[in-house]
Amino acid sequence: MTTSGLTRDYGGAGLFDVGLVVPRGSIYGLVGPNGAGKTTLLSLLSATRRPDRGTISMHIGHNRIAVCPDVPEFDGWLTAAEVTDLARSLVAPAAGRQAVATALAAAGLAGSAGRRVGGFSRGMLQRLGLACALVGEPELLILDEPTSALDPAGRAEMLSLVAAMRGRRTVIFSSHILADVQRIADQVGILRDGRLLYQGATKDLIDTYLEPSWLVRIAGDLHPVAAALAGEPWATRAEPVGADTIRVDATSIEAGERGIPAVLAGCGARQVSCEPVAADLESAFLALTGASS
Amino acid sequence: MTAATARVTWRGMNLWRLEWLRLKRTPRALTMAAVFVFFGLLEPILARYQSQLFRHVGNGVRISFPPATPAAGVSGYFGELAGTGLIVVVVIAAGAFTFDAHHGLAIFLRTRVTGFWQLIAPRFTVNAAAAALAYVLGALAAWYETSLLIGAPAAGGMLAAMLCGAVYLGYAVAVTAFAATIVRSTLATVGIALAVLFALPIAGVYHPIADWLPSALTDAPAALLSGTHQLSHYLPAFAVTVAVSAAALTAAVLRLRTREI
Repeated sequence: MTTSGLTRDYGGAGLFDVGLVVPRGSIYGLVGPNGAGKTTLLSLLSATRRPDRGTISMHIGHNRIAVCPDVPEFDGWLTAAEVTDLARSLVAPAAGRQAVATALAAAGLAGSAGRRVGGFSRGMLQRLGLACALVGEPELLILDEPTSALDPAGRAEMLSLVAAMRGRRTVIFSSHILADVQRIADQVGILRDGRLLYQGATKDLIDTYLEPSWLVRIAGDLHPVAAALAGEPWATRAEPVGADTIRVDATSIEAGERGIPAVLAGCGARQVSCEPVAADLESAFLALTGASS
Repeated sequence: MTAATARVTWRGMNLWRLEWLRLKRTPRALTMAAVFVFFGLLEPILARYQSQLFRHVGNGVRISFPPATPAAGVSGYFGELAGTGLIVVVVIAAGAFTFDAHHGLAIFLRTRVTGFWQLIAPRFTVNAAAAALAYVLGALAAWYETSLLIGAPAAGGMLAAMLCGAVYLGYAVAVTAFAATIVRSTLATVGIALAVLFALPIAGVYHPIADWLPSALTDAPAALLSGTHQLSHYLPAFAVTVAVSAAALTAAVLRLRTREI
């Protein structure tokens, strides 16, 4: 699925010249601050809004796309099974009732199939929304903040479920929980003020926008070692951050990985450990959006 | 499939059954039937005992009424076609047509149907049929009680009056469907639909078009029961009502197609 020059202008706010490239079978995470245009983009992709200009190319049929809003709503006097069956009747009429039971079980609602949805919590409604999406075996699944109302256990289940779809169906999901995106998305798009700041592999984003850093623990006096590290041309910073730890920032991962052991050996330092500072999407996101401000 | 799921049974769902369940599982069908049957039972009593009622509340002032006729006994009920009964029908229909008022529900429906007739046709058909059925039930109640208290009204006039009312209520439901595409909330939809339905008879003050307006069907029962007019007199109004209803439904579909959520 691709978009080209996708624009929807709400008087200065909205979405501008977005060119999305979503590889088939990938899990594409869409992140951005509030008002960045995530929901507008998903609405354009699901055809519930129309772009001012630009094109959307999807080589799949209308009934092969499923959309889950962040707050699903259903007629409260229907049971979960009836809601899912209604979805099945609209997008996959040839599928049998087993498809309904399977979708409900996959969404973790097997035990609530006969309950009326009027009494469901928001988390259960999100699960039901997912069941309604899955019952049609969609090729493209669009999820708007799919974990926003779930408790930690429910979040983990939902993420595992989405991650298991990799390769079988294409998933585009928005989230403000960057850890969720980092955990399951192999592709990521970062929106800010309606523009796509970055698009590509999640790992590449983290590698690109993070300054490589390590925490080096040594036994003995660490100040001569810190001074030696700071004197290296590839080191942008080398400072003690504790009684036995030095934080070393380098110009590149390779430079650090080669340079740190050499300096430690040169100083005769007794190395206890050397760990890279955890690189996460949140840091990359902040680095990217901060650099663009 | 888990054991818990295996125990659950349900009849196959589709958009037609959804509307049937909407009437059955909520108080909608019961409310509609109760309102029409209530007035069907009340109006003949008021017609039969109006002299006694006024004597009790008149503070000694005596008002003489002519003896109640069978036509008068049921005419009060048919007047509900432009009163409480109409309001109840519009409120219930608006609840079904305003799915765009709920963003999540709108996405669920809109991203799954292949055309908006799929959404409008069952909502119109089921609500119009339910309104017509409730109206006929009330008419039968009025007919029965009038026969007991006053005398039997003419069967031909009663059947013709029921036909006029049923067609008019279908028109009211179609107008409500169109109103739901102008605004989103249920309350605003009810307001617009009732404004149209109540304002249209004003145009009937201009005599040459009065017989062509849908509102002519609300006045028809009294004339049909008293023998002033035959059913054929209202054929132009029937034709216009059916045509306007079809136009309102078509316009509703077109407007839903262009509306964003």
